[in-house]
Amino acid sequence: MVRVLLFILAGMGVAPFSVHADHSSKIEIVGSSTVLPIASRAAEKFKSASSHRMRILVNAGGSGVGIHSVARGRSDIGMTSRKISMSERKRFEGSHLKVHSVGMDAIACVVSSEIYAAGIHDLTRQQIRDIYQGKIKNWKDVGGPDRNIVVVDKERHRGTRHVFMNYIFGNPTPKTFGTLLVTGSNNEEQTKIAQSDSAIGMLSYAWINDEVKAIAIRHEKNIVSPTRETIRKGNYPITRNLSFITAGEPNGEVKAFLEFLKSPEGQQIVEESGYIPFN
Amino acid sequence: MKNESQCMMWVFACLNFMFLCCMGGLFFFLVHESFPIIKLYGLDFWFGQDWWVGETYGALPMLYGSTLVTALACLLVLPLALAVAIFISEFLTSMNRRFVKAVLELLAGVPGIVYGLLGVTFLSLWIKDIFGLLDGNTLVTAACLLSIMILPTVLTLSEDAMRAVPAEYRENALGLGLSKWQTAITVVLPQALPGIMGAVLLGIGRAMGETIAVMLVVGSLDRIPDPWFNIFSSAQTIPSKLGREAAESIGEGTHWSALMALGLTLFLMVLVISFMGNRFLKRERKL
Repeated sequence: MVRVLLFILAGMGVAPFSVHADHSSKIEIVGSSTVLPIASRAAEKFKSASSHRMRILVNAGGSGVGIHSVARGRSDIGMTSRKISMSERKRFEGSHLKVHSVGMDAIACVVSSEIYAAGIHDLTRQQIRDIYQGKIKNWKDVGGPDRNIVVVDKERHRGTRHVFMNYIFGNPTPKTFGTLLVTGSNNEEQTKIAQSDSAIGMLSYAWINDEVKAIAIRHEKNIVSPTRETIRKGNYPITRNLSFITAGEPNGEVKAFLEFLKSPEGQQIVEESGYIPFN
Repeated sequence: MKNESQCMMWVFACLNFMFLCCMGGLFFFLVHESFPIIKLYGLDFWFGQDWWVGETYGALPMLYGSTLVTALACLLVLPLALAVAIFISEFLTSMNRRFVKAVLELLAGVPGIVYGLLGVTFLSLWIKDIFGLLDGNTLVTAACLLSIMILPTVLTLSEDAMRAVPAEYRENALGLGLSKWQTAITVVLPQALPGIMGAVLLGIGRAMGETIAVMLVVGSLDRIPDPWFNIFSSAQTIPSKLGREAAESIGEGTHWSALMALGLTLFLMVLVISFMGNRFLKRERKL
């Protein structure tokens, strides 16, 4: 009886040392939920084309989490849908982060389909700013139905928010006093806007569907909506690169995976995911 | 023979010691990580109302949200749990009782994320329609979800407390002419009260720590509602805040320290409540 117990204890002591990560055949990718569909699809294709057995783990968490993870060595690749901020560059100076962009995406200001159907098809930058600041509280003040606006914001570190707020406020992390709800990933935001009938929010344009409609940005006489052409030509103002980040120069499997993403096959995957490839 | 039991004692003592070290280590880790922010802010950390990362960290909205959501969940769960517990304990036969209890206890094993997804898909929409709200992600929604989650725990422990009331009490009451229902309410329930309080406190302990289910339905807005008693507004709780912000700042910085201080606060709150809960349960068993 005692021998059994001692054996178990010994086993517990040895077990941690026998499990070691086999770095050569596992890639961990963490970060932006916008880039995640590209990474997941590419991982499937890359694994099936690979000559030996390998595992590619893809997790969401947001651009901020992606940058932090790769800089601190908790993941091999980080996904971001925004630029690395000044404060992050300073904080992670020692990690020598390298950015590998694979495609482009636009961020649309979106509203619930009921609001779109009621006639709101475009807003000016100032109007969107006032809505997020809480100065405009009702849709009727911008030409819509008499309903209070459900202002949906995102977590502060999210790439989508950085890029959107940078355009609307000129500052990637402003304080928004008109917010009613804070969401995280693109899925969550899409769900909450679809469930409401008077919501406004910010969403990657590839995630727009029947319940969540994009509105155009109006600037004086120009009305620009996010379409493939306006994004590629640069007419639509809220665009960003979708990138994969490594700490230092990539090598081995990681390098092969990044090269796969930049190859025609990889760019095809970017297009299939709804984003804009770089060709 | 004696050697063997001595040896066993040492083995168990070692395991016990390892466990105590883990608990102590966890506590000291939290204290150590929170130290920078507490040194910087002092008590203002818990009384501050604004949380802007990089500028100011005030935990009051999170403390308020956690307390309110838990209190509301208790209020909602108590009538239902007691009603079902009384039914199971006083009116069901022993075989039926075991079966019903087993099924209800299975519910306790449902993971929080499942509740969270059901909450997002159904509950928040129902609450929005029933109360005519602008949006269904509110304190009330989180409280309802939590009350369903802690129902099995509170129910099963309350029922055990009622079962533990000696049969003589019931027999005496029935002998005096009281009906089964009157016996249940006026004799069994008061006797089982310490055990029921213990059950509720343990349920509170679970409710306070629930992260993902609350995070998906509470709205995650770092503000005390206006007015403060408006439970139909979105707000923030401590685990939900941690769930949303911890991953971006792991390991270093003022932001991390502030989140750890929130974690420490929650840890202490749950510790105190669980301790009180266990005291109540022990008192009841001594009867």
